[in-house]
This record gives sequence, C-alpha cells and structure tokens, in this order.
Amino acid sequence: MAAANTESLHRSQIKSNNGIVTSNLSKAYRDFKAVNSLTLNVEPEDIFGFLGPNGAGKTTTIRMLCGLVLPSSGTGKVAGFDIVKDSVKIRSIVGLLPESSGFYGWMNAQEHLVHFALLYKIEPHIAKKRAQDLLEKVGLAEKAHVPISYYSRGMRQRLGLARTLINDPKIIFLDEPTLGLDPSGQLQIRKILLELNREKGVTIFLSSHTLSEVSSLCNKIAILDRGTLLAQGSIGELRKRAGISQKILVRVTDTPEARQQLLNLPFPSSTTNEGAGLISVKINTPIESSNKNSANYDINDIIDFCMKKGLQIYDIQRPEISLEEIFFKMTGLPPTLESIDSPFSEEERGMKSKGARLH
Amino acid sequence: MAFQLYKSEVSGSFYSWRGAAWIVAASMIFSLVAYLLLTDKELSLLDQGEMLFTLGEIIISLGIIMATTSASSAISAEIESGTFESLLLTPITARQIAFQKLLSIVTTWLLLYVVSIPYLVAVSSGTNLSISAVFYVGLYGTLLVIAFSSLTITFSSKLKSSKNSVMISLMILLIMLAPSLFFATSLKKTGFGTAIEDINPVSHAMNSLDSVLVDNQQTLPEQAIHILPVVIFTIVCLLILTNYTRRFEVKPIE
Repeated sequence: MAAANTESLHRSQIKSNNGIVTSNLSKAYRDFKAVNSLTLNVEPEDIFGFLGPNGAGKTTTIRMLCGLVLPSSGTGKVAGFDIVKDSVKIRSIVGLLPESSGFYGWMNAQEHLVHFALLYKIEPHIAKKRAQDLLEKVGLAEKAHVPISYYSRGMRQRLGLARTLINDPKIIFLDEPTLGLDPSGQLQIRKILLELNREKGVTIFLSSHTLSEVSSLCNKIAILDRGTLLAQGSIGELRKRAGISQKILVRVTDTPEARQQLLNLPFPSSTTNEGAGLISVKINTPIESSNKNSANYDINDIIDFCMKKGLQIYDIQRPEISLEEIFFKMTGLPPTLESIDSPFSEEERGMKSKGARLH
Repeated sequence: MAFQLYKSEVSGSFYSWRGAAWIVAASMIFSLVAYLLLTDKELSLLDQGEMLFTLGEIIISLGIIMATTSASSAISAEIESGTFESLLLTPITARQIAFQKLLSIVTTWLLLYVVSIPYLVAVSSGTNLSISAVFYVGLYGTLLVIAFSSLTITFSSKLKSSKNSVMISLMILLIMLAPSLFFATSLKKTGFGTAIEDINPVSHAMNSLDSVLVDNQQTLPEQAIHILPVVIFTIVCLLILTNYTRRFEVKPIE
C-alpha cells in the first residue's frame, strides 16, 4: 500500500513537473569552460529550442541534464529531480537522441528496440508491442528484421528516434534529430515531435543547427555561445533582446505627389522604385521598450499617415523576422553561405525567369 | 530484466563467431595436448600428475587469455561504436554495466571449463587426482579470470580504446604468466625468482596446482598459503573495478 502510494506520488510529481530548471550550471574541462553559469527555465510541455554555433556547449548541457556528465558547479533539476543525486531516476523518464548514436550492427531494429526496452525494465510482451508501434511510427516497419549494419544514415537516425521513445519518456532531449534525413524524413520527425507534445504533453528540448526547424517547432528558444547563455524566450522576446526592429513593407502607386510625400516620411525608412508604377517603402518600426519618450508607431499609424497624405497603398506587409537574423545578431557570427549572394543570376539558378518555370 | 545486458552479452558472444571460436579452438587445443600427453613417446614418460599439471596450466592460461581479450573491448568497443552513451542513458548504473559484462566473460570461462573437464578426467584416469584436478583448475581458473577481467574492463573504460587496452592487458598477463611458463627451475630458486613468485598470484595458482597434482598435497589447508594471495588479488581487482565504475562520465570528443 505504502509502495503504491509512493509510486503514485512519484508519477504525479513527474506529471505535474515535466520542466527543466538550471541555476548557474557550469562544466569545465581543465581550463576550458564548456558551459558557464547557465540558468535555464523550460516549462512543462514546452518545445524548447537550444541554439548555438559549434562548440557552444549545447551537447555538454544536454549530457549534464541527462546525468551523463557531472556539472563542475551549479544545480539543475529535470522533472523535479536533481541532475546529480537522482540521475538514475531522470534517465528512466527522459529520452535522448544523441548527435551520433551507435547501434549493435548484428541486431535488427526490432531486437535493438526490445533490448533497450528490457534495460528500462519494460515487460517483454509490452516491449515487443511498443517496438513494433515505434518502428511503424518512424517508417521502419518494413525493415524491422534487417540487420542494422545494412541501414543508411537516415534509417539509423529514425531508429535512434524510436529508441529515444521506447521508455515512453516525459521529456525528450534531441541533439540534431534531423541530421542526415531527407526532406520527407525531416517532416515526418517534426510531425512525430509535434504529436508527442500535443497529445502526450511531452516536453521537448531540441538542439539543432537547422534554424528553420527550430523556428517552426519551438515556442521558446535559448541561444548559447562559448558556453554562455546569450538569451532565452520566445522569438518575439529574443528579437527585442537582439535589438532588431520589425520591418513594414508598403508599396504605393508611383506618382510625382507620392514621391514628394515620401521624402518627408516621419518614420525611419528607405524607398526604392520597383517599376510597374510602384514605389516600395521599407519602414523600421521601433523596438518595443519601456522608454516612454521613444517614438511609438505601428502598422495602423502608417496606414493612417498614407491615407492623410493621399498615398495610394497597393499592398502592405509585415514580414516575419527570421530566427537567422536574431541568431547572427546575437552570436556576432557571419551569415551562412545560403544568405550570401550567389555568384549566379536568379535566371541561371532557375529561380525567376518565366521560361524556367515553364520548363 | 535485471540481467538483460548480461543475457544480451552472452547471446551476442555466441551469436558472433568470437565466443564459439574460443570454445572450438579450446577443444582442439585440449584434444591435441591430451593426445600428445598420452601417446607421444617422450611426453608419455611423464608422471601422470605432471601430465595433469601441464594440462591444468594450459586450461587456466587459455581461460585468462580468453578473458583478457574479451574484457579489453568490453567498454571501449561500446565507446568506439557509440553505443555506450545509449547504455548509460538507461536506468542501469555504470557499475551494473561493468559487472554484467564481467559476468558474461566469467560465463564464457565456465563454458570453456566445462569443455575441459572430460580431458582432465581422461588424463587423470587410474589415479586419485581427478576430483582435485577438476576442483583446483576450476577454483584458480575462476578466480584468475575474475581478477584479470576486472582489471582489463577497468583499462578498457579508462583507455577508451580496444587496441590500447588489449595491448596493456596482454603485457600485464604475459609478465604474470612468465615465471610459471618460462622461468627455469634453477631461476625460480634464486632470490629474485622466489621474490617474483611470492608476489605473483598466477605463480601461486600454478605452484598450488603443481603441489596438488604432482606432490599430492590435495587438502585445502595445505593449499591455503597459495589460495590466499590469489583470493586477495581477485578482491583487489574487483575493488579497482568497483571504484572506477562508481561513475562513468561521457567525455567530449578530443
């Protein structure tokens, strides 16, 4: 009876607290500080993105949170359990997909999953059933009995995810989960993660270099650089922290009067002649701040201004601020190759000309 | 499910060529040695006790070599193939991982020992040495296999490289086996030889076997002086493993 009560208390504690909290968590290897005074707060059921350049300390942080590495100083709790004292309990309720996971090549996927399920003390018949379900979920059911040594990198990554989920974890740590996967595989993994989060309330801690993946999945993001936390919060909060202003794009009909009015715009802006009778105006809205004296205007004020001055608005847009912008601003890193101008014209790249589209 | 890793290790050893190859190779070596001892013109002139001692020495040495080579990759192979992190993520502790691996190696030794029993019985037929031969070979073999496996698993987890741990472990094994296998009787009787033999648990095991099978001193009290150092060596090796595996830490790639 007492054991049952303790077990139910243990379960309710896990259910009510699937969050992650760290306070001044640090890890040093001799003189090198891999993680420096990291204070994080991941709420239960969050999908938390953990960003940072190579060597920022992301993997070390994940390993500390899973009890694989002892912190040099600071404290941390995962689902209410201390990362040092209760590491065995933590390991029974979390799943981790490491950046490069290894497999027993002589086993097949089914055996591999059952093997790990039994290590989690899951009953053999439940383990077998769960392994089958997971293999179906990650799209490996047809290859369930093929030795893992014959698997491609993408298939191994899918199997790694299945193994991460074999103990029905309350919190999942993922280190580059879509690495090596084709686009459809990446989508499938994202779908699985979203399902787990929405249907089972699983907290997801996602470390990734794929910024689009993080921005599409995560409700909260932390940016780490050289072991130090630069910021954490929603994309909006990070934008404010990074000091990036929201841009508004207005296209107005090109008339001599409009050109005259645009010269005296009361907003910081830049104007370009688009051709086809349109002028494009890019307006930077102010960064929200507590300073009451700072200029404060939004999209409605811009529309009002245009109407008053007789400017004919063709369209108006507020483009999303990309996570890339925030990331590069905060880390001070140069942008990636994708955002550097290509030496080939758009036509050569087959992106713009109608001819290319027709083909 | 408490011994899941152990079960998987044992089945892995026997699914793979490694475990089966050891047993087949051991059977062939035992057959050859027994055949030579019983039929070779010069070897068959040996006293039957000496024949048994030679066979016992070979069985124990083979067991230790098998244990050392298997244990040298016990942890490092997991680290090298990237499966160690996944193992550490399960609720079993680092110490349980190490001890279940140790248990699987001891199981392989026990199988090899069972295979050797008919050969010991055949070579000792017609004497009163059968039971003693089986008992002492089993006792010393098991203790030394546990000791060397523990030590080698520690190296394997410390060095994180199967190649390095097999090299160091075999070197230690060779140093410890050398007095029994390669020292001439005259050298063993010098001060240096005696000192080496006094501190070497493998020498104690072999000398005990010699005194049981050749000098017919078969009782446990008579052998206590030899059994004790081997037991102490085994306990020390187990303590080293226990202490080292108190906590494994996944280190960053260097």
